[in-house]
Amino acid sequence: MTTPSIPAGEALERIQCQWCQSMNAKTALACQACGAPLDIRNLVSESGWREAPRIRDMTEIHFGSSTCQVEGEIVPAAEINLGAGDAIFFEHHVMLWKEEQVRLSVMPLAGGMKRVFGGMPFLITVATGPGRIAFSRDASGELVVLPLHPGMELDVREHAFLLSSHQINYSFVRVKGLTNILFGGQGMYMDRFITTGAPGLLILHGYGNVFERRLAPGESIMLEPGAFLYKDSTVQMDVELQRLGTGLFGGTNINLARMTGPGRVGIQSMYVHHHTE
Amino acid sequence: MFCENCGSKLPGAVNFCTGCGARVRTPGPSTATPPPMPAQNQPPSAAYPVAATPDQEVPKTPHKVPVTNYAGTGIPLSETHPAGKCSWCAAIIDAGQPNCPKCGAATGMHARPSNSGWAKLPGRKDMAQLNFGKSVCQIEGVYVPVADMKLAPEDSVYFTHNVLLWKDPQVSISAMPLKGAWKRLMGGLPLIMTQAQGPGHIAFSQDGPGELIALPLQPGQSIDVREHLFLAATGNIHYDWFQTNIWFRSRRGNDTETHYPLGQVMDRFGSAQAPGLLLLHAAGNVFVRELAPGQTILVKPTALVFKDPSVQMMLHFERPAALFNVWNSNHTYLWLRLAGPGRIAVQSVFDRIEGESNITGASQNPLGGMDIGGEIVGSLIGGLFDR
Repeated sequence: MTTPSIPAGEALERIQCQWCQSMNAKTALACQACGAPLDIRNLVSESGWREAPRIRDMTEIHFGSSTCQVEGEIVPAAEINLGAGDAIFFEHHVMLWKEEQVRLSVMPLAGGMKRVFGGMPFLITVATGPGRIAFSRDASGELVVLPLHPGMELDVREHAFLLSSHQINYSFVRVKGLTNILFGGQGMYMDRFITTGAPGLLILHGYGNVFERRLAPGESIMLEPGAFLYKDSTVQMDVELQRLGTGLFGGTNINLARMTGPGRVGIQSMYVHHHTE
Repeated sequence: MFCENCGSKLPGAVNFCTGCGARVRTPGPSTATPPPMPAQNQPPSAAYPVAATPDQEVPKTPHKVPVTNYAGTGIPLSETHPAGKCSWCAAIIDAGQPNCPKCGAATGMHARPSNSGWAKLPGRKDMAQLNFGKSVCQIEGVYVPVADMKLAPEDSVYFTHNVLLWKDPQVSISAMPLKGAWKRLMGGLPLIMTQAQGPGHIAFSQDGPGELIALPLQPGQSIDVREHLFLAATGNIHYDWFQTNIWFRSRRGNDTETHYPLGQVMDRFGSAQAPGLLLLHAAGNVFVRELAPGQTILVKPTALVFKDPSVQMMLHFERPAALFNVWNSNHTYLWLRLAGPGRIAVQSVFDRIEGESNITGASQNPLGGMDIGGEIVGSLIGGLFDR
């Protein structure tokens, strides 16, 4: 457990959020940039995984001139109050409701046909403010709020992203290597989010609990491929086959993804098994 | 300085308690402090850390139970908690430890049985640390918890390979063949356990919301677990299995099917010389109770999580009272009768049993004959089923 960097009793006016590093007023109970509760213990395991904060019901998050309110706990919904001129984009099936004046349009994407064959959503929908619009996914889990600062590049498992603010550029990368595609258990494409000049907000939906860890350059860790949720684009991912069989029962092998730093890796604790046999 | 909320000793200048996460108020001249802020990630049961045993009267209105200890007293836990024992697994808890080092139950969240005698599995605070051998296991997450183990070089752990979440590259994993492979294959059980040898970190999780149960096993102790609930066990725990002999037959048209509501085999884990740690994953909430010798209870077979080997099992069919034709009625309730002495545990999310209607025959109970409608009847009535 790390000791908070701000000693108690010192007349400091700000609290740093341990999840997204944003600075908050001393009286704040939740981080204004990512919604993480600020008044509870910093949840880092002894092995270095930081648990994604459980966002309290009705917490408000600010981005641009808009706010996002996270409602509910079992299957949380994200309700966005878009300011004029702000926009967000998402996969169309996550919309829950919207006000009439919110305009929807379609984001032009390069390589549309490739995406269709890769099983990715063909259309990314854009909603433009002013007005309110809400999103949720059809599974219990956690909303992972990732404020992205300029210069960040994040790769996300396909179908895991819920919504993103318009300051973030969206593209997708093909998962490299045949073994990664066939045995990696995460499809052919990953979503890639790149910030432009301004900070933006990215919200993912993870199944079960979500944990993040920062890998040092050259440090590596073996992951169950189905547990992978997101990574910095600097983190390299290679799926390796581990043979378990001995003697008569020579059959069982498992695939593990080797993630090599530097950068952040995010995992989810509930995952789909694609491997073995 | 001590935490106002949970009484843990604090290492000097910190903003938050290292034990429970409550905000630490800087000591001012007045000690009349406002009520401590509860940590967000703990169930409300933490609000009443008053031990209650089944024979004591359980307060009817838990919110009015006075919090007599911890708050603002600055007294170490061992003094406010005279036994210094975990109310769940009876391990000795040192002063200042936020949770039991053997099973992870949070200090101050005692097993508090319901009026009917079931106790919800003790509250565990996120990131609770357990010790086994020279290794440490940290349980992370509250929703789909992860068991994150730091293995010492001499310690090992085994698991079914589909629960592996991540590991350090240097942790070696290998296959551990099991005896009785053919029967296990027929029973749909995993043939091979995977073994991981320290040093290094390795973590496990099961893909469903539920409880991660940490069961410390003392030397000589063993426990029976329903199939597919096993997550991982330390290397010194021996693993065996036995045929449940709990089955019934149902008929659909001309087809007769045999069903095993508990599975064909049940896992038995035991510890021979050294204490070990067994980790299970159950769906939903888990409730546990102790049955007195001869005391019985009926549970749905798929809800059973574990039982002490001393607890006897048998199937029980209950036909609800009806005005007309009872024997041909399709309505049969299938129960598992558990008879003490010993501990049993059930989960709140369980599978529907197939073939519960049209039952034509069933396994014999240990006393001979089938158990129908609360009476032990012999083979004469048993023959009536074989229409």
